[in-house]
Order: sequence, then C-alpha cells, then structure tokens
Amino acid sequence: MIFSLSSAAMIHWSMPEAFPGMMQGATRIIWEQIVQSGSAPDLSKFLVVAALLFVIGVAGVLTRRNVIIIFMSIELILNAANLNFIAFARYLQDTGNLNAVAGQIFAIFVIVVAAAEAAVGLGIVIALYRNRETIFVDEIDLLKW
Amino acid sequence: MTLTGWEAVFFWVFSSAALVAALLMVMARNAVHAALFLISSLVAVAALFVMLGAEFIAGVQVLVYVGGVMVLFLFVVMLVNVGAEERGGERLFNSSAQVAATILFSLLLTTGLIYSINQGYRGLIERDRDRLEAVGQRRAQIVETLTTSATGTMKISRDTEQVGASLYRFAALPFEIASVLLLVAIVGAVLLARTRKQESVTGDLDSDAETSG
Repeated sequence: MIFSLSSAAMIHWSMPEAFPGMMQGATRIIWEQIVQSGSAPDLSKFLVVAALLFVIGVAGVLTRRNVIIIFMSIELILNAANLNFIAFARYLQDTGNLNAVAGQIFAIFVIVVAAAEAAVGLGIVIALYRNRETIFVDEIDLLKW
Repeated sequence: MTLTGWEAVFFWVFSSAALVAALLMVMARNAVHAALFLISSLVAVAALFVMLGAEFIAGVQVLVYVGGVMVLFLFVVMLVNVGAEERGGERLFNSSAQVAATILFSLLLTTGLIYSINQGYRGLIERDRDRLEAVGQRRAQIVETLTTSATGTMKISRDTEQVGASLYRFAALPFEIASVLLLVAIVGAVLLARTRKQESVTGDLDSDAETSG
C-alpha cells in the first residue's frame, strides 16, 4: 500500500500540488499507527525508536556537506541497527528461545566493525584534507562528468 | 516483555533523549557540538540496552563506541576542521532541492517502517501468544536462580557470563576474524594518514608528487 502510494505519486505528480497532500497523508498514517499500538513500551516501541534513529542518520548522510558529520551519521545508523538486535535478543529470551544471546553477539561484532571502519574512514579524511585542503564533499568533484 | 511502571517512564525519557540528540547532531553548526550530541545519543541508547537486559553490551558501547570511536572523531575534528562553518563562511547543508528530496524520502521511509513494524508485530504476537503468556513466570523463575549481591538489595545478572560463553564457544571463529579485521584497520589507518615526509623516507612517494612538490 505504501509503495503503490509513492510510485503512483511519483508518476503523476507535479510538485506544488501533491506535496502537502502527501505530507498530510504520511503524518496521518504515522499518527494512526502510534495511537493504535498503545503506550506500553514493548518490542514494537523499541523497534520504532531504532527505525527513527536510522531515518535521522540517513537524513544526515544525505544532507550535510561536512564529511566528518556524514561519518557520525553513519555511526548513528549502525547504532540504530544495534538497538534492533538487542531488542529482539530480549524478546527471544522472554519467549524462551535458546539462541537469544545471538542478538547481543551480533551487536558486539557490529560495534567492532564500526570501530574499524571509523578508523580507516577518518584516515582517508585526513589524507583527503592533506591533498585537497577541503572537507566538504561537494568540493571533491574531480570525477564528475 | 512489556515494561511497566518506572521502567516505562525511563524508556520514554531515554528514547526521546536519544532521538532529540540525534536530530540536533544532524543539524549542528559546529562539528564538536555534533560530536557531543552523538555522544549523548549513544549514552542514551546504552541506557536503553541496560533496560533490555544487555548490560555487557551497554558497557561495551560506552567504553568502545563513546570512549574510543567518538574520541577518535574529536581528534580528527581537531586536526581537520577548518572552522568555516562556525564563522558563517560555509553552507551547512547541500542545495535546497537535495534537502527537500531528503526530507520527503525520510518521511516516506518513516511511514513505511512504522507501518511495517506494527503489522509485523501483530503477526508476531499472534504466533507467540502462548509463549508470551508465560513470560512473567519465566522471568520470575530466572530471577530466583540468580545470586544476590553482597548488600542483599539486588541480583547479579548472568548476562556477561552468557555473552562470554557464547562468544568464545559458538562465535569463536568470527571473534578471531574480528581481531584480524582490527589489525588490518590499524595498519590501514596508519598507512593512510602518513605525511609526505614519512612517505618519502620509505620510498613510497609517487614520482608525480615529488616533481610537482
């Protein structure tokens, strides 16, 4: 339902008219989902928090010009995935699954890989700054057509 | 696994703190402010981990992620950040068409994610209905078997013991591969961040770079 909504809008839309309608529709859907699911924090609330952190990280990666802020948004995305893993590990432990601790093991490895990737990525940033004197991604455009 | 009472209050407090800090990080003008907002968000998520019973992962997150990775970010900000954003010389965000497209995409993604999470959760509750009813008893049984702390006020959880046992028995191979990955990352980071003089000493300087100076 969501995908048909967005694809139909993309084909038939013209920006000024369709945009406020889509924002209202999306806000209404989000509000309905929040009200329907109640307010006691169970697994779905943790997953929604992780999803919102993920979306904020994606917005940061797509929007900012400073490459260090882009890296920090990537760390936020990885952290959101970790929260998802740990929430499911607790849920599986509560429902009696014997492999419940696998979620926490996954989260440890995500943290390890994030640390390694941050180290190498920041080394690249330093090398880039030494050669190009800039840290803004839209000024690094030698490969553009 | 519904949280009740004070745990529910702390859930809302920590999750809204994490979300607000993440939003402010994305919009911060100063890179150091953005790093500090991210640290706040990571610590709030570590508190959420403690509420989910993963105390070891919460400790690892604060020690490694906040205490290692974010300190590394702050060092690089010190070396590299030109400060033009704070003085108002440079734009913070990409062109406004890109920002509008990003906001639209984020709204669609949020809608899709929240919708599918709630749909999937309903199905999951249906499937696990009988197991979920016994959750309270299962938790009480587990808490009975835990050892009491020295002051007698709380129980010592077995999370670290279980994580360690699983990590070294069933995940031993990924553990060793992760240590090799960290070694490669260390060597790669040192190699990438060499200065020109360091590169010429070992003869690694490119001939074009030498002539163009």
